[in-house]
Amino acid sequence: MVAVRDLTKRFGPVLAVDALSFTLDAGSIAGFLGPNGAGKTTTLRLLLGLARPTSGEALVFGRRYRELPNPTRRVGALLESGDFDPGRSGRNHLRALAIASGIDTQRVDELLDLVELDRAAHRPAGDYSLGMRQRLGLAAALLGEPELLILDEPANGLDAAGVHWLRGFLRQFAATGGSVLVSSHLLAEVAQSVDRALIIKRGRLVATVAMDQLPDRGSLEQLYLELTGMDES
Amino acid sequence: MIAQLRSELFKQRTTRAAGVLLASMAGVTVLVVCLHVFTLKTADLSQAANQPKVFGWGTTIGALFAALTGAIGITAEFRHGTIRPTLLTNPDRTRVLIAKAAAAATAAIVIGLLAAALVAAIGSIGLALRGIPITLKAGDFTQMIAGGAAGAALWAILGTGLGAILRGQVGAVIGLCVWLLLIENILIGNVPSAGKYAPGASDGALAGLMPNAGIASLLAPAAGALLLAGYAAVTAGLGLVAIERRDID
Repeated sequence: MVAVRDLTKRFGPVLAVDALSFTLDAGSIAGFLGPNGAGKTTTLRLLLGLARPTSGEALVFGRRYRELPNPTRRVGALLESGDFDPGRSGRNHLRALAIASGIDTQRVDELLDLVELDRAAHRPAGDYSLGMRQRLGLAAALLGEPELLILDEPANGLDAAGVHWLRGFLRQFAATGGSVLVSSHLLAEVAQSVDRALIIKRGRLVATVAMDQLPDRGSLEQLYLELTGMDES
Repeated sequence: MIAQLRSELFKQRTTRAAGVLLASMAGVTVLVVCLHVFTLKTADLSQAANQPKVFGWGTTIGALFAALTGAIGITAEFRHGTIRPTLLTNPDRTRVLIAKAAAAATAAIVIGLLAAALVAAIGSIGLALRGIPITLKAGDFTQMIAGGAAGAALWAILGTGLGAILRGQVGAVIGLCVWLLLIENILIGNVPSAGKYAPGASDGALAGLMPNAGIASLLAPAAGALLLAGYAAVTAGLGLVAIERRDID
């Protein structure tokens, strides 16, 4: 579903992503882990066609994102930045996206119910709390009933109940054949829900860890700290 | 393409920006036209050559707010980051920008019509109150309103292109204000032989008049229309290259 090969992105002198390769199969949840600035968000932007790789390739369903015919039907994405016009209501934010991809507005209301924003849907998104924005972003990602979810730090701003809900949601999504690539710099929230952890540091993949091969979920933290080291500055 | 255009028109209706722009335009128009119609000397205003100082403002104000509509439509997406979900939904950036330009041009026709009609109405009432005969003919008013609307549509396309090139909202807004309100007037006032080829003066030719210039110093309407369309096409073309080539942060 996702194939990243020798992906490299350079911003001037900075090598943000350095010959990164990994794949993601159907029905699995992969955690994309690394310290802040490790290149997680850049990799996801390359995968989603927002930025162009310096070299290498990042494919979804065997193609570059920009070549997917109706991408919202295949890939749902939530980016870290929380992208809403503060003056537009949550419902209208979703409707504008639904109209552009030919999705029925009834689906918008279904999703507002699902992420429990139905009562706040008429309010400007600028008034939303961080958690509400994340839920609105998740609703946007789910609009086209995609097979693949790409989520950048989705648990940011969610309260404990929200994180719990998100985990359950992702599990169920994967159980019905969907795949998830979820980035995080927080281990605890990821360790409990992923099948596989991709650990990156300074733009390079330093380890791929199958969770069922670890003695227990807690040992991911140990491994992560060993691999990413404490020498981050 | 149609779906993207519908989405862009929907976006226009769902923030306060469009209403604020329209209200500001009406306010600026009333203020500027009243200032000119009530402060200029009777002897000056009675001359046909000076009446564009009142009636020409519809062209400039229509152009300005049309260009701002185009520029804000695209720069707001960069400012708030909504360009990301927009391009994730439709990764064909060229189509997205064309849809934005088309949506802005649609709104600009309304803006251009309103600006010209408002100027025509307030200017006529003002001059009548002062007992000064209006030298513009019915045909001049028709050209002013129709040409103003067409010119505004082209300015909206130009503004969209400029916004895609600059990305920054403040820069685009200030740039358009300075150009249309300051530079254009200096050019047409001081060097009309060259200034008449500038985009604002081309729009003036299309509408038949602009604040500091009557028909005599401007190009023929068709030439003005073509030239302004050329400016819009070049700017929009550069905007397309910019949005296709550059990464989205």
